[in-house]
Order: sequence, then structure tokens, then C-alpha cells
Amino acid sequence: MSRLNIIFLLTFVGLLIWVTLFQPDSIGKIQRGAMVVTRPFMGASNELDGAVRALANEPLSPAQVKAKLAAAEQERDRLRLEVIQLDEILSENNQLRNALQYLEKSPLSLVASRVISRKPSNWYNTLVIDKGSDEGVAVDSPVIVPLGEEAGLVGKISEVIGPHSALVLLLTDEMCQVSAKLQNSQEQGILSGERGALRTLPNLHLRYLPKEIVATPGLKIFSSGMGELFPANLLLGEVVNLRASVIDAEAVVKPAVNFDNLVDLFVILPTKDAKALPADAAGVPDPVTPSTSVKP
Amino acid sequence: MRFFLFVTLLILLSFILQEFLPTFEWAYGSRLLLVHAVFLAAAVAVPFPAMLTFAFFTGLLWDARYFVPIYPGASVTGLITQTELPFGFTILIFGVMGALIQGVRPLFRRGRWELPVFMIGFCTGLGLVFEYLIISFHRGGLELPPELLWKLLMTALFSSLVSPFLLLLFSRVADRMRYRIRTEGLKRRHTYDGDAL
Repeated sequence: MSRLNIIFLLTFVGLLIWVTLFQPDSIGKIQRGAMVVTRPFMGASNELDGAVRALANEPLSPAQVKAKLAAAEQERDRLRLEVIQLDEILSENNQLRNALQYLEKSPLSLVASRVISRKPSNWYNTLVIDKGSDEGVAVDSPVIVPLGEEAGLVGKISEVIGPHSALVLLLTDEMCQVSAKLQNSQEQGILSGERGALRTLPNLHLRYLPKEIVATPGLKIFSSGMGELFPANLLLGEVVNLRASVIDAEAVVKPAVNFDNLVDLFVILPTKDAKALPADAAGVPDPVTPSTSVKP
Repeated sequence: MRFFLFVTLLILLSFILQEFLPTFEWAYGSRLLLVHAVFLAAAVAVPFPAMLTFAFFTGLLWDARYFVPIYPGASVTGLITQTELPFGFTILIFGVMGALIQGVRPLFRRGRWELPVFMIGFCTGLGLVFEYLIISFHRGGLELPPELLWKLLMTALFSSLVSPFLLLLFSRVADRMRYRIRTEGLKRRHTYDGDAL
């Protein structure tokens, strides 16, 4: 090997070590810079993706479009009411917690967001949304979507990339773990996705259930609220089957949310107490109440 | 020099185009990794020091855009402060894959592209295997579902399919810019019994 090659190799190794020693705030700055450059292309890509999806669907007649629009408007109004209802339920939950002196009174607020990039990573199930530190989004903020009369959990904020962008780690990822309980039961387990989540509709796994538990297919799974990361009673999915071992039982769960068609999401903003830790840890400015918050 | 500038611009362009490339659900979430394919095709055409330089800045840009800060489970106890796939890991992947593919430079120079095309796909897949092994090491237990193998195979195949066009482009541009692909450093300097040639 020539002397020049050796010099370049040693320089490469030195630079590589230097880069791997970057602190999270330095990495955050680099990623924010990259996001500023690539965001216009991400937006264009998302629009193109939407156009291709629309082309793939059957063409509709004007009458069908009109009917669909009317139905969508009705659905939108219903969803607005449901968001308000959800907010009330969560506020009530917080008040009960306050009574039990577990938490200080902290009104919940949601921020509406839109998906701008899908599955950017090879191995992690993630989305990029168009809300970030300027809207008060912080690391570990839960992300939900209305599902009929309930709210379905989509995932949590993995990283706030910039003032108007954040990375969502989906529930289907193995590293997004939620404390969950069965419908009409106090039995709890840990729900997580599959490694790589390679299938189109990956199943979730509810582990560490008591081995004596009885769970029929179709039984709904909700978040338990333990750990205080995710609010209680967010719909996670329904039981497909149950496998009991000598020590515990594991339920295979079909997710409630269709992760392929996510467009509009809601981020639950952190409460006063919860705000400080993740925001400071992520190097994100203190969240402020955004103008886009959905409040009752 | 003009050729290196062209390679730099092409790598930057590939980052933009990568944003528009979808994942294929029918192929278990695999997609064309255009940036990888462009880098590996360039690595066949440039000398070792230039390959390392391109590996560094391509890997750095990739991680700047696609790095996901996921901490292993033990991080909650404060035992681990490093992410599963550390920032800069892609630089290492590109460096190793680039060094591997440099071995087929003489074939590319002679206009034999069969092995370079195969190697571009192979190295793309191998890079993903490394990443998956690191993730599995952190999480414990090596899971190898058929979907994973299909994803690796299809991603490698997509890279192989696009690589002839990239090699053709590099070859034509090299001719036009009078850039000569040299294979210094790859010469056999000694006979097999140890005597200098």
C-alpha cells in the first residue's frame, strides 16, 4: 500500500472516530441543517406520493366526488367532536391523578400535524411530521389519531429534528414499548412491535401477561397509563391469538391503526411537569402553547 | 479533478432523488438505495484516497438525513449512552464496502462489468446486514424471518439493476473528461515465492 493511501486511511479512521464521538446536541444541529436543505424535497416527494396514490385509485365521477366530499366533511365534524371528547376524558383523567397527588393539574393540549415523509429509515419504523419545537413538540410526546369513538396510538416522538419537523417512532417498531391492558380487565403487559416490522401489516406482541389470563380474539387492548409516558385508554389494537408458556402469556395483537394511510395526526403536548425533562434532554427550547392546539 | 467534481455533484443529486424513491411494500419495505449505488459505482472508478473521501462525506450526509436516535433498553438505567446505530456508522459501512469493491477496479477498467454489477448489489446488501446485526446485538437474539432475507435480497437486486447505468455514465464521463482509471496499488509486486518482480 502506498504512503498516500496509508495517510488517507489513517485520516479516515481518525475522522470516523471523531464523528462517532459527537454529542447529541451536535448531532441535532447537523440533522437540523440537513432537514432545512431536504425539507422542500420531502414536501415535493410527499405530494408526488399522494398524486401517485390518487392515480392508483379508480377515477370518480363528479357526483361521487361531491358525495365523498360531503361524507368527508361530516366525518371531519365528527372527528372534531371526538377530539374534544378525548380532551375532556384526558383532562378528567388528569384531575383524578391530581386528587391522588400523583400529578399536578395539567390541562392536555393537542397539536394537529401532517405526515411529510414516510419510512425514511431502513430498519426503524418512522414517519416525519410537520410540527416541531416551535409548536411545543418534545421527545417522547405521544402521537395519536382518531379512530371512531376512540383515539388510537400511532407512536411517540423519537426526535425533534427542527422547529417544524419531528421524527415519530411508530407503534409497530420493536423499540416503541407501551404498557397495555386488556379491555374490561386490569391485567397488564408490555406491547411492542416486531423487529424490522417488515410485513405490510405487522402484528404487535403483548408480552408478560399472567399465564392464567383468558383473552378471546377480538378483545381490545388499551394503554394502561403506567409509566406516565402514554395516557391511559388509548386504543392499541385487538387480540388475534394468545400463547401461554410456563412463566407467562403473550398475545398477538392486530394494530388498531392502519399505519400505511396515516396523513393527519395529533401530538399530545407534554404537561408542565413532563415538559421540562424531555425538552431539556433533547436540547429543544421550552415548549410554548401553540396557536394550532386543539382545545375544548 | 473535473471527474471528482462530477462524482461529488452526482452523489449530492442522488440524495435529492432518494427523497422521491418509494419503499415497495410488496418487497417487504425494500427500496432502491440510490445513494449507496452511486457511491459504490463511483468507488469502482476512483483511486483509494478519493474513495475514502467520498465514503466520509457520503456517510456523513446519509446519517445527517436518516440517523434515528434509538437507545438500547439498558440506556434507561444509565448504563448505555450510545444509540443502537451510532451517528457515523454509515461512514464506516461506506468505507468498508468501498474498500471491498475497489478490488474489481481492474475489471471495470477492462470493460468487464459483470462482477462490478454483482458487487454493487452484494455490498449494498452486506451493509444492511451489518446494520441489522448491530441492532440484533443490542436487542439480544438474532431473528432471521424470511421477510428479512427477501428485503435484503430485493434491496441488493434493485442496486444491481441500476448499477449498469451508473457504470456506463461514469465510464462515458471519464472518457469525455479524459480521466484515466488507474489501478496503481493493485499491482502484484512480488512473486508467489517472495522474490521481487
